[in-house]
Amino acid sequence: MPLEPATRAVRTGLVAFAFLAYLILIGVPGKIGSSALPVLALISALFFWLTLRRESAVLSTTATGELPAALQNKPGWEIGPKGASGLSRVQGFLTSITGITVVLKGLLAGCTTGLLIAVLSGASATAIGNGVSIQPVFDKIVPVNLAALIGVSPGQIAQAEVPFARFVLQFLFFGGAGLLAALVVAGAKSSQLQAAQPARPIARFTGPTTVNVVRYTGIALPFLLLAYIAWLGLPGVSVFGSNEGTVRLFITLIATGSGQFALRLSKPGRERTAVSVLLGLGVLAMPFILDQFQNSVMGLVFIFVMMGLGLNIVVGYAGLLDLGYVAFFAIGAYTYAFLSAPFSSPYISSLLIHLGVSPESPLLGYWMALPVAMLTAAIGGILLGIPVLRMRGDYLAIVTLGFGEIIRLFMLNLGELTNGPRGILEISQPALFGLSPSNVTFGMLSSQGWIFLLALTSSALVAFVAIRLNDSRLGRAWFAMQEDEDVAEATGVHLVRTKLLAFAIGATFAGMAGQLYAARQINIFPENFSLFVSIDALALIIVGGIGSPAGIVLGALALKGLPEVLRGVDEYRIVTFAALLVIMMIVRPAGILPSARRRIQVSDPNELGPDSDGVLDEEAAQLQAAGVAESAANGQEEAV
Amino acid sequence: MTALLSVQQVTKVFGGLTAVDSVDLDIAERSITSLIGPNGAGKTTLFNCLTGLHRPESGEILFGGSSLVGLRPDEITDRGVARTYQNIRLFGRMTALENVLVGQHLRLQASHWSAVLRTARQQAEERAAREIASELLEFVGLGGREGIVSTNLPYGDQRLLEVARALGSRPRLLLLDEPAAGMNPSETDRMMELVHRLRDEKGITVFLIEHDMKVVMSISESVAVLDYGEKIAEGTPEEVRANARVVEAYLGPEVAVQDAIGAASH
Repeated sequence: MPLEPATRAVRTGLVAFAFLAYLILIGVPGKIGSSALPVLALISALFFWLTLRRESAVLSTTATGELPAALQNKPGWEIGPKGASGLSRVQGFLTSITGITVVLKGLLAGCTTGLLIAVLSGASATAIGNGVSIQPVFDKIVPVNLAALIGVSPGQIAQAEVPFARFVLQFLFFGGAGLLAALVVAGAKSSQLQAAQPARPIARFTGPTTVNVVRYTGIALPFLLLAYIAWLGLPGVSVFGSNEGTVRLFITLIATGSGQFALRLSKPGRERTAVSVLLGLGVLAMPFILDQFQNSVMGLVFIFVMMGLGLNIVVGYAGLLDLGYVAFFAIGAYTYAFLSAPFSSPYISSLLIHLGVSPESPLLGYWMALPVAMLTAAIGGILLGIPVLRMRGDYLAIVTLGFGEIIRLFMLNLGELTNGPRGILEISQPALFGLSPSNVTFGMLSSQGWIFLLALTSSALVAFVAIRLNDSRLGRAWFAMQEDEDVAEATGVHLVRTKLLAFAIGATFAGMAGQLYAARQINIFPENFSLFVSIDALALIIVGGIGSPAGIVLGALALKGLPEVLRGVDEYRIVTFAALLVIMMIVRPAGILPSARRRIQVSDPNELGPDSDGVLDEEAAQLQAAGVAESAANGQEEAV
Repeated sequence: MTALLSVQQVTKVFGGLTAVDSVDLDIAERSITSLIGPNGAGKTTLFNCLTGLHRPESGEILFGGSSLVGLRPDEITDRGVARTYQNIRLFGRMTALENVLVGQHLRLQASHWSAVLRTARQQAEERAAREIASELLEFVGLGGREGIVSTNLPYGDQRLLEVARALGSRPRLLLLDEPAAGMNPSETDRMMELVHRLRDEKGITVFLIEHDMKVVMSISESVAVLDYGEKIAEGTPEEVRANARVVEAYLGPEVAVQDAIGAASH
């Protein structure tokens, strides 16, 4: 066996350690509390997963550009989670030499990190225990922080009474993280690898039972996490101390995100249907489980999921870079505000009095206002679309940027209509069948839980519409337009209609999101609708994976959810978040869960075509020629 | 027999350059006509005028008796004119099948609402469209390559796929811009055979730009020659080959003069 994979694994472990050391130095474990060790292990597992995934991605189907027969004729979004077919592939991969290599690599990387963390914390604990003060140099290496990392009480550290077993446990946690990540990679990567090479069974090491255990663990993970969150929410349960809310939120984010992977691990057909239904129920149960703060964050996350899905139609499907997307969000929010808040402009008031309606009572409820807000936003979309029909690329981006600012300045300066910077206050809450957050009988749901529930269901609806549209002739026309506008037109695509539809549908979704946002905030001000909202929406679809609705959910969880979790890290919050983003974009330039098409584009064109075909052929030939399993592994590493 | 396409006095000017200068041209239904001429003679510009990418400054283009001038490219495609491109312009990240499906865009009727609701009619239409697309790929010789992302097809296949995409809109007139450019002899033969089958089996009128004289001379029923934007000759391949102005345009005046002298002295 060549040493290279081992070196690479150790290097991965070192990078993970460096990152964790940074988190420890800025005092993250102390903020998280006694569950710091599992949380940090999970973070490193995520990192290992990303790295291993990338390293074993060379043989992905898109390298040849040819999609597997079963996936042909499917739109890009469907190729991801639904394409992989569970058991046989996982089994095939795990029993192949490559699979064993990945698992060993993960284990090695995890052990490297674990060893270094154990040494770091052991050395610091010993130093502090013996009266050496490291605090002047590293101000956050205090007993509280260190104790959380090791899982003991601060007193034990001060008196140098930390049992050695604690460090072994640390080591095991990170080693386990590496192993977990490797197993997930093995499961996900198996489909492509099996297409490229016949599996070489090593029945001695693994069998179908192991595979099923891995698979069902993956599927059960989101449910276990949800159950854990629910348990933590029970009165009287307190394991974390002061930062319980943040930790619960963090686990909520992971639970929601891991649902995507649970779906991927399930077998298509009855099993997958069952898993989707259960996942749906689990997610719908979340608003009832979480407390006010967690619900409010998750509500915001899913409002941004709606925004992302809408913007994805404009940017991801139709390829029109829109930097002023906040405009439609603002239009939706203000439309609802006009219709439901007691404040009305002098103009509207006089009109209402003229019509015999009291200006003090809301004009329309949430559901009646919804079509109005959507329609207003759609009209806004068309009004923006018409002047920019002939613009492309940078010019389009600049003009749309201006449009977003115009709407904000309009809200700011047209005081008589919008109350200017003082905003519109006391926007009424959404109610359903007489139930509303202000209604005492509502009981089970907190007011923010209600918003979260609405955001969830609206996001699901929006995603459904977006996916179906993308899988129709309209979706094909959008994508053709993105590929080559002139040719699309000459092929028969009506450019004006197709572009305006993209702008209008995207704006409608933003309008829905805006309305819900206004209901969530209760009071809205022009500064809620700054350029940064557009940037957030764009960033989340880029991070998640342009063109992929599942990726957008993950992107929103990462971009809008993580900063709230990191709130515990006070002054380092933004820096940490930025660092995470940079790492993300280096490790996965096409986003967390890219659409199949996007992967084709982001891959280096030189890697496509004849070259990589050659690699595959060479490898297949070697595999056929070499009887010994070891030489097959050699061949593959060289090809990599 | 009336002409399917009638180009009358079409002129296209770019700045000070007259790219197409008062060109007259008639193309009969179910014929194969070639347009030849040296580089920069205005052949592709004429194609662009026919398909609405450029709007001619003056002149009239009649297709099946009605004018194409001033129509949008998609409207012209709707009337029954489809084309391929000199430098292949496929939708690169789409599969072969999806490219042909986009070609059929105009012929699909289902509303966007029905796509969201997946009505039975919309589903039936989509299924039919996929079948037609597969048949068209089969027709051009790309059967079984439906799922390949088009940038990853070999060069010759990409040209064939462009033809299949153009056929998706069920054209009456197909404009092929240098269909055999960059092809090896066997690929060229395949392309020539395809052009014949387009006419014979599908009844499509073919109008093509080509530089390969072997192709031009063997498949065209009539040939038109452009030089500096002007039509300098028109007729059967034999007539055009014998035309002194054509020889001059291709080989330069001196050769033509010597040729003429040589002919006179013999």
